[in-house]
Amino acid sequence: MDRALEQGDALSDHTVELHGLVKRYGATVALDGVSLGIRPGEFFTLLGPSGCGKTTTLRSVAGFVVPDAGDVLIDGARVNAVPPHRRRVGMVFQHYALFPHRTVTQNVAFGLRMQRVAKDEITRRVATALALVQLPDHGGRYPRELSGGEQQRVALARALVTQPSVLLLDEPLGALDKKLRDHMKIELKRLQREVGITTIYVTHDQEEALTMSDRIAVMHRGRVEQVATPRALYETPATTFVAGFIGNINLLTGQATGHGTVDCHGLKIATTGYAAPGAAVTVALRPERVRLVARESLDNTHAMTVTHVVYQGETVRYVLRSDSGLTLQAVELGEVRFAAGARVHAGWTADDARILEDA
Amino acid sequence: MRLGAGLVLLGPYILLLALFFTAPLALMLAISVSRQSFGQMEWTVTFHHYARFLSDGFYLGVLWDTLVLGVIVTAIALLLGYPLAYHLARTRSRWKPLLIVCILSPLLVGIVIRCYGWMILLADRGLINATLVERGWIAKPLPLMYNTFGVAIALVHVFLPFMILSLTGVLKRIDPALLEASQTLGASRVRTFVEVTLPLSLPGILAGSLLTFSLAISSFVVPILLGGFKVQVLPMIVYEQVLSVFDWPFGAANAFVLLVISVALIAVYIKVTERALRGIV
Repeated sequence: MDRALEQGDALSDHTVELHGLVKRYGATVALDGVSLGIRPGEFFTLLGPSGCGKTTTLRSVAGFVVPDAGDVLIDGARVNAVPPHRRRVGMVFQHYALFPHRTVTQNVAFGLRMQRVAKDEITRRVATALALVQLPDHGGRYPRELSGGEQQRVALARALVTQPSVLLLDEPLGALDKKLRDHMKIELKRLQREVGITTIYVTHDQEEALTMSDRIAVMHRGRVEQVATPRALYETPATTFVAGFIGNINLLTGQATGHGTVDCHGLKIATTGYAAPGAAVTVALRPERVRLVARESLDNTHAMTVTHVVYQGETVRYVLRSDSGLTLQAVELGEVRFAAGARVHAGWTADDARILEDA
Repeated sequence: MRLGAGLVLLGPYILLLALFFTAPLALMLAISVSRQSFGQMEWTVTFHHYARFLSDGFYLGVLWDTLVLGVIVTAIALLLGYPLAYHLARTRSRWKPLLIVCILSPLLVGIVIRCYGWMILLADRGLINATLVERGWIAKPLPLMYNTFGVAIALVHVFLPFMILSLTGVLKRIDPALLEASQTLGASRVRTFVEVTLPLSLPGILAGSLLTFSLAISSFVVPILLGGFKVQVLPMIVYEQVLSVFDWPFGAANAFVLLVISVALIAVYIKVTERALRGIV
């Protein structure tokens, strides 16, 4: 099934197109029919757990992986048989991959030199690129004399200076510590906007994906599960896998009883989405959408007992249990309002409880 | 405390070196500046033996031949060894252990047996010449032995493992992402090799070449057996002076000239390569 195309992307006007990519390594299937269209100037993220095929997908755009079936198109041209050095892609690697025997300037100039750009123009463009990543005075240094964050910026400058069709980023923040990573997230997004370059970003970190991306493709077992904007992905996950992978979520199994109502452990839950009466379904419900209220006022309100209270600083997580045995989690901002054993009413709207399609 | 622990760990080796390397070397230096008359050593300080060596065209010629042989052997070993080392560093084949054994195999055979093996192949009536003559492809045997060619081939054969292992260690440590980065920046595979792999493998080239060169110029048995005294190298002169002519001071002076020149060459080599190594080590 071709979800990317199904979701209404026109086939023209894509910087990168992937059509039914299949890649096998012996008995394991790394890519199982991956189709995606990446729009010009878009920050597009491939998100998924390790082994889901995201890196293989990226590497087949770069040309390091030759798919067993399917096509890769860059700027409308089929590039399956084009070697990496003629694909006009810029790539940033997880561990920077700066040439240790060359200075920062020489690293950034490398791609221009390969393109036989004139000497004085190389000097000019390298200076511009280093200024862009805010390292104008570091040209004479060697990579090992730079911090991890600085090396990452040089790698970015080196990838951008040749003005490639598409920028490929393979977990570029993975080797940085948390504080620097948060800073680089903003920095990277700023750069990408400023340059306006089409970008494919690979990560297993949902927070990175949600904060930076224009659109995200969630991958699982060599397939694309869903392509959507960060907000749509979080609020309206299409599959159980997506719902479970992005953020915390209550996945309640039950039986559809018609009219959008699902019977979970004896609780009648009003939901959005449709399932034939009698069908076994999964209902997804974000913990932060569960409100602990005094009175019955929402579409769903159920009397429950607090079984655990987990203090998390900014937020408090309550594990709740209905009298019929259904457990779910609720998250609140701020102070601890209830103790374990307290009786509460848990309420949420029908819009917040979604029937997932592959249940 | 840390110094003490270091001494305990290094002690035995330092002692061994001092007793069996430094002391004999010092003794040899003393002998090389001494005088010998009627088999008796007179402990003087004279540079007579060095002057004799440096003013005699014959000895200078042998020295030159020795160094040329060293360069030839090193160059051939590097050219043959690099592709093998490259493959060994990259391969994930299950035959890799077998390949390593094959590479090390010259070291598993005794030096005399190895040389006789080459003789069987290279002699005038050896396997190669006999076959070629029998088929009528050549009229008379090719000169494969008792010349520099034969000596060089046998020396390359035995020193190749040192070259390959030195190179493999360095090539293995080159991050494959560097080669991919080079390619995404527009460099073909060949260009990537020249721009990235080759400069980054310089430490291995340096180590392997130094090892091969110093082993080659001090080799003795191989030049005798495959050179048949037609290829003269300095170690043979030293041997001759010490054990046949019994002129110990002159033999010692010869040995020291060889030592000083190879140390000097190695120093120059390191200096030249140092610039290219900036940023790597």
